[in-house]
Amino acid sequence: MSPGPRITYPSAIVLLAVTRGLRHGFDIIDASGLQSGTVYPALRRLEEAGLLRSKWESVRSARDAQRPPRRNYQITGVGAEVLREALARYPGLASALARSGAEPGGAPSPAPA
Amino acid sequence: MPAATRPPAPRPPDRATPGAALVRAIARLVPLHLRDDWAAEWCGELDYYWTARQSTRAALLWRCLGALPDAFWLRRRHGGHLMLGQDLRFALRTFGRRPGFAAVVILTLALGIGANTAIFSVVNAVLLRSLPFPDPDRLVMLWGMATDGDSSKVARWSSYLDFTDIRSQARSFEQMAALRASRVALTGGAQEPARLDGAEVTANLFRALGAAPALGRGFLPEDERPGATRVVVLSDALWRGRFGGDPALIGRPVVLDGNAHVVVGVMGGDYAYPGDAQLWLPLVPGELDRERGGHTLRVVARLAPGVARASAETEVRGIARGLEAQYPRDNAKRGARLEPMREAAVGTVRATLLVLLGAVGVVLLIGCANVANLFLARAASREREVAVRTALGAGRSRLLRQFLAESLLLSLTGGALGLLFAHWALRAMLAAAPTSIPRADGITIDATVLAFLLGVSTIVGAVFGVLPALQLSRTDALGAFRDAGRGLTAGLGRRRLRQALVVSEVALAMLLVIGAALLVKSFWRLQRVDPGFEPRGLLAVRVQLPASRYAERPRVRRFYEELAARARATPGVRSASVAFEHPLSEGWTTSFTVEGRDPPREGEEPEARMRPVMPGYFRTVGVSLLRGRDIAERDRAEAPGVVVINESFARRHFPNEDPVGKRLRRQAWWPEMPTSYEIVGVVRDEKFLGPRGGADPATYFAFEHFPFTDAYLMVRTAGDEAVVAAALRREIRTLDADLPVEAMRGMQQILAESVAAPRFTMALIALFAVLALVLAAVGIYGVLSYTVARRTGEIGLRMALGAGRGRVLRLVVGQGMSLTLLGVAAGGAAALVATRALRTLLFGVSATDPVVFVGVALLLGSVAFVAAYVPARRASRVDPMVALRSE
Repeated sequence: MSPGPRITYPSAIVLLAVTRGLRHGFDIIDASGLQSGTVYPALRRLEEAGLLRSKWESVRSARDAQRPPRRNYQITGVGAEVLREALARYPGLASALARSGAEPGGAPSPAPA
Repeated sequence: MPAATRPPAPRPPDRATPGAALVRAIARLVPLHLRDDWAAEWCGELDYYWTARQSTRAALLWRCLGALPDAFWLRRRHGGHLMLGQDLRFALRTFGRRPGFAAVVILTLALGIGANTAIFSVVNAVLLRSLPFPDPDRLVMLWGMATDGDSSKVARWSSYLDFTDIRSQARSFEQMAALRASRVALTGGAQEPARLDGAEVTANLFRALGAAPALGRGFLPEDERPGATRVVVLSDALWRGRFGGDPALIGRPVVLDGNAHVVVGVMGGDYAYPGDAQLWLPLVPGELDRERGGHTLRVVARLAPGVARASAETEVRGIARGLEAQYPRDNAKRGARLEPMREAAVGTVRATLLVLLGAVGVVLLIGCANVANLFLARAASREREVAVRTALGAGRSRLLRQFLAESLLLSLTGGALGLLFAHWALRAMLAAAPTSIPRADGITIDATVLAFLLGVSTIVGAVFGVLPALQLSRTDALGAFRDAGRGLTAGLGRRRLRQALVVSEVALAMLLVIGAALLVKSFWRLQRVDPGFEPRGLLAVRVQLPASRYAERPRVRRFYEELAARARATPGVRSASVAFEHPLSEGWTTSFTVEGRDPPREGEEPEARMRPVMPGYFRTVGVSLLRGRDIAERDRAEAPGVVVINESFARRHFPNEDPVGKRLRRQAWWPEMPTSYEIVGVVRDEKFLGPRGGADPATYFAFEHFPFTDAYLMVRTAGDEAVVAAALRREIRTLDADLPVEAMRGMQQILAESVAAPRFTMALIALFAVLALVLAAVGIYGVLSYTVARRTGEIGLRMALGAGRGRVLRLVVGQGMSLTLLGVAAGGAAALVATRALRTLLFGVSATDPVVFVGVALLLGSVAFVAAYVPARRASRVDPMVALRSE
């Protein structure tokens, strides 16, 4: 696989958060300690670059919870590749997420489709 | 965000979720094809965190702010084809197709905004900016004032004794200083002698103003004592220009009027008071300062902290009353008043500037009305385009944005071009401006002016963009398709608006042209005033003998006699004489009594201008002798006193008798001066108060009896003035090599300068009036040709039904003329009130001069007729067949 695009440090944190099971924008914000104005554009960029893909929560599970559906993000193969490179490039990255106070395992997220 | 396979939401996000409303508002920024998904994602998260995670309201709202960068990111990434850039590109393309429209709008706005910025720059620098001194609001001028309102009897300036009395008694002031202009000759060194403008000032003047020398020291009280070492403070310009900016000059002497003065200080480059002074000398009281009637001083004071001007004025009035009682001979009816220094500095220019600002504002208003009309007409012709775009899904805000982009593009381009115009206009104006504009060197286009300019352009742009767009987006698409291009009945309201704009344009133009015509007529009157002498070929050469070397009167007499004789012998000179004043210099007055009449009460003696002359003066300047004889060679210093009076004097004091042979009595200033003078002749009035001023009684004594050191050599030339001037300069240098010779000026030039200010105002207002007239004509033309274009079908129908060309012509011209008539009536009525503001600027013309009002109405009428006739002719040439087929 060809090496993917190089990503910025905040994007790498977002990517890492998604691989750790934080699949929703606000959960990633909580876990990373980054601002919402940083996380969302990062999500858009990563999705556009094919490192993430997004899906909508199923209507049924949302209706069961009496709330609108949420959008969740998953890492792609290219994304995993790029993240591996990023972890090599930013040695502190792996611990960054933990330090920023994310609950282990991330927020409980509704079952993805 | 391309993955958009979102299933329909089970229910809309809870409206009570904090931040949802904010997100929905921000969603408008997101490109349309992504908007729903985007909003759903944010609302989904908000709702989840609000209900399932129990986040606080504040935390959610804070988090929502991140939606803004998110939306902008998407907009930048995906919305390029929906953004302002596209609107601008579209606007540019539209204007490219119709460059005439864009050019007219830009040019109109550029002229209006440019002229406004230029005038506003002057107003800002002269009227709005404060004086360049700390706490300028506490600075006041103390003026003498007649308690009975007869200002000719009481000098504005103060005598030294009055000044010192008021200064020692008043408690309301922190400092009170006095000054008087003084011209000195600088000699010595390798350079030519120079005549410098300076001022004698009391030691505390700089302190009163809050200024300090940049180098060395200011004056000390002991510098004012008679007999003290002579000292001088130089201006920055003089120090740099003449002395090469040498700091070692401090403590060294320079020679002024033949006496060594030690340079003690140099003022900073930004200090300028009084305005033209190049150096300052301490005010050492002289012989004249022992007279309470010698009013030579301007008094500047700084109010003590916390003292109001009104209460300070009450105090000085009280002191003046005390002086009046104590010295009735000199101070009868002499009161005092305070004027803020800023007002005194601006003086009479204020009225002129405000009138100019009003005039130029009217030009901008007319320009704006024109532009509005153009936009309205253009919007109407775009109904079909708008209908198509609405039908294709363009929303109201989308249209609004595009129209706004177009109008802002035009108005800001107009503004930018206007800035350029303003820059040029300001340069041209300052080059042409009379020197009487105070603080003129501070005039620049500064930040205030730029803000003003930007504000005007943006407001103009926004209004013209929004108005037509609002009107258009209200029309329903279907109706527009049906009506487009027909417009018989469409938009009655819009037509009314356009007509109202034309009427107001004509009214404003009428107002402005009347104002200009009044000024032109007044200036024409001013030009035709007979100055009483013949200015052509008359040279005035100012000579000032330094008192140090010409202390004895015989020496002064000898010098001037010799000078006049040498001048007469100079080739190209027809005649020459010497006079204390030239024919346009007002000089001073002294009191006298008529012998053989009851003596007036003390302090109430009549006054007359005192103008000593040498023989041949009247012939040289061209003042005709009406009765009796001229001052003659036999009227020597030791001969009995004689005097020639002018017509005004004769009318005032000898209304029904022959004044020749009567005698005047006046005080002698020195021993050999006669006290009794026989009236030997009567001459015509010279307009020494300038063409605007009335004639004033004047007495022409023999120069032999009044040998002042300062005088004018008056020369009537037959040949080239420049050659004669050069020859005279050589003669003066041979008589006294140390005497600085000033530039010689022709009386024609001096006469022209005396009316420079009214000419400047008139020229500017006339320029604005022409602009207004052209703009109004363009407005009438524009609206009528638009109407004709829209009514081609109707006109064709009328003609097919038998209406002749003449009738069509009358129809269109009649429409234009009725609008004009309304405008002229409204403008004329407004002018009746508004021209009152001009009253102080007018001369010999009433502010409601009927000839001007009727003339301007006719002028506007004919301009409007031409502007209406062109489209009317086009209408009358409509081919009924073609017109009806195009329907």
